[in-house]
Amino acid sequence: MSEAAQYFQFVLAPQMLIGLVLGVAVILVALGLTIIFGLLDVINMSHGEFYALGAFVALALSTIGLPFWLLLLLVPLIMLPVGYIVERGLIQRVFHSGDRHVRTLLLTFGLGLVMEDAFRLVFGPNPHRPETPIAGGVEALGIFLPSYRLFLIIVGTAIIAAVAFVVYRTRLGAMVRAAAFDRDMAASLGVPVQHVYAGAFAFGVALAGLAGVLLAPIYSVFPTMGRDFILMAFTVVIVGGMGSITGVVVAGLLLTQIQAIVSLYISPVWSDPIVFGIMVVMLMVRPQGLFGRLGHG
Amino acid sequence: MLDIRNLQTHYGRSHIIQGIDLSVAAGEVFGIFGRNGVGKTTLLKTVAGWVKPTGGEIAFNGARIDGLQPHRIARQGVGFVPEDRRIFPGLTVEENLTLGFLQVPGRTGAANRAALARVYERFPRLAERSGQLGTTLSCVEQQMLAMARVMVGEPKLLLIDEPSEGLAPMIVADLYAIIAGLRAAGCTILLVEQNLGEALKFCDRFIAMERGCVVLSGKADSQGDRDALIESIAV
Repeated sequence: MSEAAQYFQFVLAPQMLIGLVLGVAVILVALGLTIIFGLLDVINMSHGEFYALGAFVALALSTIGLPFWLLLLLVPLIMLPVGYIVERGLIQRVFHSGDRHVRTLLLTFGLGLVMEDAFRLVFGPNPHRPETPIAGGVEALGIFLPSYRLFLIIVGTAIIAAVAFVVYRTRLGAMVRAAAFDRDMAASLGVPVQHVYAGAFAFGVALAGLAGVLLAPIYSVFPTMGRDFILMAFTVVIVGGMGSITGVVVAGLLLTQIQAIVSLYISPVWSDPIVFGIMVVMLMVRPQGLFGRLGHG
Repeated sequence: MLDIRNLQTHYGRSHIIQGIDLSVAAGEVFGIFGRNGVGKTTLLKTVAGWVKPTGGEIAFNGARIDGLQPHRIARQGVGFVPEDRRIFPGLTVEENLTLGFLQVPGRTGAANRAALARVYERFPRLAERSGQLGTTLSCVEQQMLAMARVMVGEPKLLLIDEPSEGLAPMIVADLYAIIAGLRAAGCTILLVEQNLGEALKFCDRFIAMERGCVVLSGKADSQGDRDALIESIAV
């Protein structure tokens, strides 16, 4: 084997795989964020805490003996009504005010703080590490990958594809895109816009919860886990284009690969500043991001 | 079919609709005319539920609809084709059309498909372009699509705002041929239009508005009423 091939197999490829796992994880969290922004024009600052809520709910249910595989289905189903109630009970109360963006941003920021403190009170400040549902690892082309991370890549990709299919290829998705673009016109065609908005918010929250269940065995469960992850998710959403699902996928994969490569060639310390720097540059030169908004063609 | 009593609408502190009374009978084409900014579009938007009235009543087939959410008004059989067509970008012609199914939520899939087929029969150019993005259609085709997606729900009352806006005169004739077809099919139409010449050919009755009030009402087949209308609007 040539030196270059060995370098790729033992140095570059493992690093890129780490980046890919992180990329899928970030995309899963950012998907809900971008759908909520694209449809409701709401920057959900509590999205990270909904991701944490999913992980904590899974943690709590696993203590009564529910298996991980059941939790993958159950937790998003529990999160759906939570998201629906938050949208109808909180977001809608300030949604129609003149300074909607500021109010919803502050409201969701406050909600996130409350949730984070509630996690600390109920579960304590220390991290919990759920057992890895799939032990062992696989080796392909000489590259070793833990089985659960491979599972995450496959399931994460399937979830991303399913969400894109629903949004872009179904009548429900057409309804959501229509309501995102023109609330009044969609309503005059019989679309129950308020329920679509609440449903989309709930769907975004359920996706965050699902990401919480999936990522807990890798990143652990602790009260500030949402805050830590959401920064990267916001960066991905901004660089990809706020409200664009395609943008989230492209930016998620791109930025996490940049992080991985920077960690290898410069220093891991520089990976975050460089990625956040890309976000700042993007906001300056192309504030709409790489792709357009959901429902905006 | 449509009864409006002492309707009042405000935008903030601006009093736009100032006590309008109006009755439209089933099968009638009713024209609303007036210069720009007199409240014609706001009147239609208020009936469609886009703007909440601040006073008065709107009754449709005997039931109050003022204050209802727009999708509930649509589901009662009131279709709205707004001035700027508002075709959804990123949605194909067929996706735009099938959204209109939600105007009749209890209808079966077969009935929906039959309604879509009837609309395609009426608008064959849309059938040819069903997979094309709605926003890539020509202006007149977009106007057809705006009307067709409402017609998919087979509304009892159609509110049409400035259909000839921005269209070339030859195309306007085509468009009014479509409206004539709707009228012949028994559709009740409330029509806001600047193009008096074309619109009056299809109207049964009309009103002229000035500063949010009705200043003239008449019959389209009365030459005296038509002359009064033209004089009223030309001043």
